[in-house]
Amino acid sequence: MKAKKLLTIYCPPAMLGLALLAGCGKKESAEEQPAAPAATAPAAPATPIDPATAATIIGVVKFDGPAPKAAVIDMSQDPACKGTNTAENVMASGGHLANVFVYVKEGLGSRTFEVPKEAITLDQSGCKYHPHVLGVVAGQTVKIVNSDPTTHNIHPTPKDNREWNESQPPQAAPIEKTFAREEIMLPVKCNQHPWMRMFVNVTKNPFYAVTGPDGKFEIKGLPPGDYTIAFVHEKLGEQEMKVTLAAKDTKTVDATFKP
Amino acid sequence: MPEKPIPENDPVVSKSLAPHYVISMVILMATLFWALWDEDFGQRPWKAFQHEWKDRYSTFLKTARSQSSESQKDVESSPDYQKLKQDYENASQNAAPRIKEINEKLRDLSAQILAVQSVFTDRRAYVSASTYDIETETSLSAKQRKQRNLDEYKKESTAAEMPDGKKQTFKDYDELEKTYNDLKNERTQLSAELGELIKPVNEKKELLDAYVTDHMVNLTPPQLVGLQNKTEAWTPKILQINVPEANIVDRCESCHMGVREPVKLTATSMSAKDKKPDEYARAFTSHPERELLKIHDPEKYGCSPCHQGNGRATTGVEKAHGTYEHWLWPLFRKGNMEAGCQTCHAADMVLVSNEVGWTLSDGKDLFRQRGCMGCHRYEGYDKEPEDLLSVAQQIKQLDQEKKDNVKQADDLMKEADKAESNEEANRLNDRAVALKVTNSKLDLRIVQLDRSTKSLLQDLKKVGPNLKDARLKLNKNWIPVWLKKPSDFRSSTKMPNFRLNDEQIKAISAYVWQSALTDPLPKHKPGNAAHGQELFETRGCLACHSIGEGDQLQGGTFAANLTRVGEKDSYDYLVRWVHNARERTRPYCPYEKKDIGPEDYKKKGLPYIFDLEHSRCPNDGHELQVQNMTVMPSLRLSPQDAEDVASYLVTLKKQEASAYADASFMDDPNLKPEGKKWVRHFGCAGCHEISGLEDEGRIGTELTIEGSKPIERLDFALLTETAQRGGREPITDPDDLARLPEGPAKQPWYDQKGFFEHKLAEPNIWDQGKDKPETEKLRMPNLHLTKEQIRALTTFLLGSQENPLPASYQYRPMDYRRDIQEGWWVVKKYNCMGCHQLIPGQRTSLMSMARYQGPDGQETLPPKLLTEGARVDPEWLLRFLKNPALNGTDTNRNGVRSYLQVRMPTFSFSENELGKLVRFFQALARQPFPYIPEEVPVLTTKETEMARSLFSSTAAPCLKCHATGDPAHDRTATAPNFLQARGRLKPDWMERWIIDPQAISPGTSMPSGLFKRENDHWVFSGPTPPSFRDYDRDQTKLLVDYILQLTADEQRRVGAAMGRARASSGSAPSGVQASGNAGRGGQE
Repeated sequence: MKAKKLLTIYCPPAMLGLALLAGCGKKESAEEQPAAPAATAPAAPATPIDPATAATIIGVVKFDGPAPKAAVIDMSQDPACKGTNTAENVMASGGHLANVFVYVKEGLGSRTFEVPKEAITLDQSGCKYHPHVLGVVAGQTVKIVNSDPTTHNIHPTPKDNREWNESQPPQAAPIEKTFAREEIMLPVKCNQHPWMRMFVNVTKNPFYAVTGPDGKFEIKGLPPGDYTIAFVHEKLGEQEMKVTLAAKDTKTVDATFKP
Repeated sequence: MPEKPIPENDPVVSKSLAPHYVISMVILMATLFWALWDEDFGQRPWKAFQHEWKDRYSTFLKTARSQSSESQKDVESSPDYQKLKQDYENASQNAAPRIKEINEKLRDLSAQILAVQSVFTDRRAYVSASTYDIETETSLSAKQRKQRNLDEYKKESTAAEMPDGKKQTFKDYDELEKTYNDLKNERTQLSAELGELIKPVNEKKELLDAYVTDHMVNLTPPQLVGLQNKTEAWTPKILQINVPEANIVDRCESCHMGVREPVKLTATSMSAKDKKPDEYARAFTSHPERELLKIHDPEKYGCSPCHQGNGRATTGVEKAHGTYEHWLWPLFRKGNMEAGCQTCHAADMVLVSNEVGWTLSDGKDLFRQRGCMGCHRYEGYDKEPEDLLSVAQQIKQLDQEKKDNVKQADDLMKEADKAESNEEANRLNDRAVALKVTNSKLDLRIVQLDRSTKSLLQDLKKVGPNLKDARLKLNKNWIPVWLKKPSDFRSSTKMPNFRLNDEQIKAISAYVWQSALTDPLPKHKPGNAAHGQELFETRGCLACHSIGEGDQLQGGTFAANLTRVGEKDSYDYLVRWVHNARERTRPYCPYEKKDIGPEDYKKKGLPYIFDLEHSRCPNDGHELQVQNMTVMPSLRLSPQDAEDVASYLVTLKKQEASAYADASFMDDPNLKPEGKKWVRHFGCAGCHEISGLEDEGRIGTELTIEGSKPIERLDFALLTETAQRGGREPITDPDDLARLPEGPAKQPWYDQKGFFEHKLAEPNIWDQGKDKPETEKLRMPNLHLTKEQIRALTTFLLGSQENPLPASYQYRPMDYRRDIQEGWWVVKKYNCMGCHQLIPGQRTSLMSMARYQGPDGQETLPPKLLTEGARVDPEWLLRFLKNPALNGTDTNRNGVRSYLQVRMPTFSFSENELGKLVRFFQALARQPFPYIPEEVPVLTTKETEMARSLFSSTAAPCLKCHATGDPAHDRTATAPNFLQARGRLKPDWMERWIIDPQAISPGTSMPSGLFKRENDHWVFSGPTPPSFRDYDRDQTKLLVDYILQLTADEQRRVGAAMGRARASSGSAPSGVQASGNAGRGGQE
């Protein structure tokens, strides 16, 4: 630090003689300003979730209105598509709504979760996707299988992830893909069978569920806390509910969608 | 001398100068120290920077090193690395024993050679000297004697002590020489063998090292150590870039030492430990755009040509940045950084052909779209009129040349007739003939130039509508209301606010009204507005026009927002406009300077027909302006559809057209001259066609080098002092205040940036506090720009400079890149990017509309043109651009993508612009021009069968999505008919496309992964038909060749065989439609 040393030698007499060097010591004082809180401090490692205190959310998603009659899809354009098929956009029966994606939208703070190792399977059979609504943790593998005797192509059209479109002939090896960023209701379609449509939901945490035909869902293993639960339906939009969970709670959170 | 008594208080005794001396000495010392300090640091502030740099960079490198060795470990644990490492180790192990052996031999040999050499060299020296002696000896006897001596010397035996301690004797000189040479040869051979042995090992080692460098995010630890050593050994010195031929001396890097460092340095990483980034940290960051530095090597371009500032200054930050009053061109500030690009890239409408988001490009677009060049000349922005002028001059020159040639030929022939010899006569006649041939070439050249005159006349466009049609088009009572403040009626209009007073408004509207044409318009019956709306929303009108306001706004910003068009436009005029906007009421003759009417045609007995084929003036044969000077194309709607669209448009209004206050004063003939005066005064003819003012000059100042103007020449008027002091912001109007990119002034803004920004935010700002008559007030209208627009325009203006760099530094390419430059000019002119994506990531106007969202919506968008030049045959492209219906009679359709609702319009491009566009696409894709199509091999019957089985296999259902011409099937088609491939597509491109379409047009409906690489060939990924068992060529090529030979019959047969029996019968099965609806309904 030659510069500093020289400064300390030269400064006192210079100050004494002529107040010319007003700026002499300025830089140093500027540097001595209290340091800002380090912005890059790593997030405190999340305390592991204690399974003994884990709580559960259960609920039913209702459909308030007459159940729409599902449109029948004519699949005769491809003789390989056998069986009957109905549109899956609003599936309601007995006042219960299926295919609603339920997930913990807020409340987990900066907690990070390990990406599940096991892959989630998306099957194409009967020229239909199974499941129609799928949840996956960001980075988790989605294994896409073609069980049909015809070629499909899988074409997600995301907003925040990378778009791709790959062909999968019959008996082809499964296609394995991951989605890196959170995105809800990411539409996936098959260009060759325009009725084929499903939605991938990429979440940051593993606390999600999809309602079944009875409208029921269950999310297990949540640490106690205050949460915002979001219910998302491909056509009927999104609803949010707040819930506070104590240790080992099982709380019921219901939602109702209107046509 | 009487002795005087010593006075009391004798100063010699009582007064001392010591305090004075002490003070003086302190002052002197202080001055000395100050002088020393100033010499070392005060005048060399960069030294402090360099010391600080040394500290911080070393610290940074240390931490970077530990991270780097971590990541090196990661890289080294990868299987690829391990394999390479294994290879290397195997290779070196295999070679090791032999290498050892050779090395030992070599060591022995060298020792032997050394032993023999000491004896041999002595003797060889003697032999050489004697031989020279013999050669130069003149007397024969002496020669013989000496030769004898030498022979004897050679016969003497010698001994050498070998490395093993034994003595070896050589019987004569020859044996000694031979032994020596043999030993040396052996050594050479062994060395060569060693090289061969080591080579593969070294190669493996190189691969291994390259793998680490390629896979490391940062530098490797050894590289970082190198940097660290370099940094620690640094002694402060001036760093400068000196380029004499461009007169660049830039010492910026004396402080900005991190600019070119190989690691990425951010302000945070260069901050002192646990401190906020300070001025040092900010100064030490790397250049944020490394790609730019790669193209513009600082060793050639320096820093200041792009950034401005005073590159030579070293005595202070302010001095170096040029932000003091004696430096004319201060550093460009952050928001206007790209101004530096403009200095060399003035001719580029799009700076980098594969990047979006350039502020400067926005500025250039605004300058053109808002019609700035209607008032301000800007070199290069009047291409069409300037070219027109130059063509006229060329024609004149050629005419003169022709005359001269004729005269000279006559003279030559006369001379020939009188020539003395036949040879002489023939020679002279030949020259005369040559001149005649030259003249016929010149004639053809003139014909060409005439055609380009026609082209250029066709290319001339105006920003605003043709006011000669005002009476036919406009609601008379609306005109004065509009003129009052156009942005009140339509907030996004290009028409600026002129701050007119009521008298001026009256007079101007009266002039416009009275000077307009009064020809009758054909009457149309009302159409179906609902159908019109559907057409309007689906045919692509919204790629340029917008509709709705606020949140409801949809569509592009290129053309007018039509939300209130029903209040102002007449139905009949709209029908004509929608059907063909270029249709003119009367042709205009630039020679006579008048609108030609039926009477002129009648006089010559000609029918009153004028269009691009009939464009000669009946009076004098000059080229007429036969089109409206608008860029609006024709969508090739049927007359009926045009009526429907117009019927819809007239329903768009907030109030009834009849609700406007009566403006019958516009018929007062006394107002006309006053009106003409003001129309001229405000330069209305810069953007509009106005009767009697077709040749008006421009009223604004030229802006080509506006950014070079010294600050003294920018007139801040009475605000000069406010701007210098940074006093209160003079703009008070809240709307105008919101336009300032940096917000209300807080600091002094007496610089070019401050001037442009204030002027653009409130153009009459310099009239503040001045008492002027109407005619002397500042005329520039308020363009009601947004902050971002002003920032973009300011950037453009700041960079508009007289460039002091040599011509070779400016971007004026003469190769394919010039075609790209010229092409962008046309592409931007007609807003091709409103519909088409030409740059990855570029958003078209249509893409953000609700209709085109979701996977189904995306399929109905116009095609992306990312590789258009590589995709289509240029000849085809030319045909298509001329007539996108690709059909002379049935034009109400799309030529290629018949299944799309949105339509490629007919732009009536001139020959000139057609050529530019075709060359542009070829150049953008780096395709050779002219294009010589490759021969497509004729497939054998067997090959055809194979290809057919692939084409129609369930695993490659091509015809499922591609149109076939069968209306029932094509309703759900999402891709073009294969029958169009021949003559349109380039076979190489087709092959690339079917292999990986997502790489060519990301997001396309066509999936990738249809083919895979196997045994160096492309084979189908699905189950292949059995006939392919022994096929050993690319299956992609086979399929492409088949598609290029496909006939309509074949396609029908294949379609039918694929289970399309119902579709191919021609009847529309309700099922197909229902399924389409259900599928689409799923999303929207």
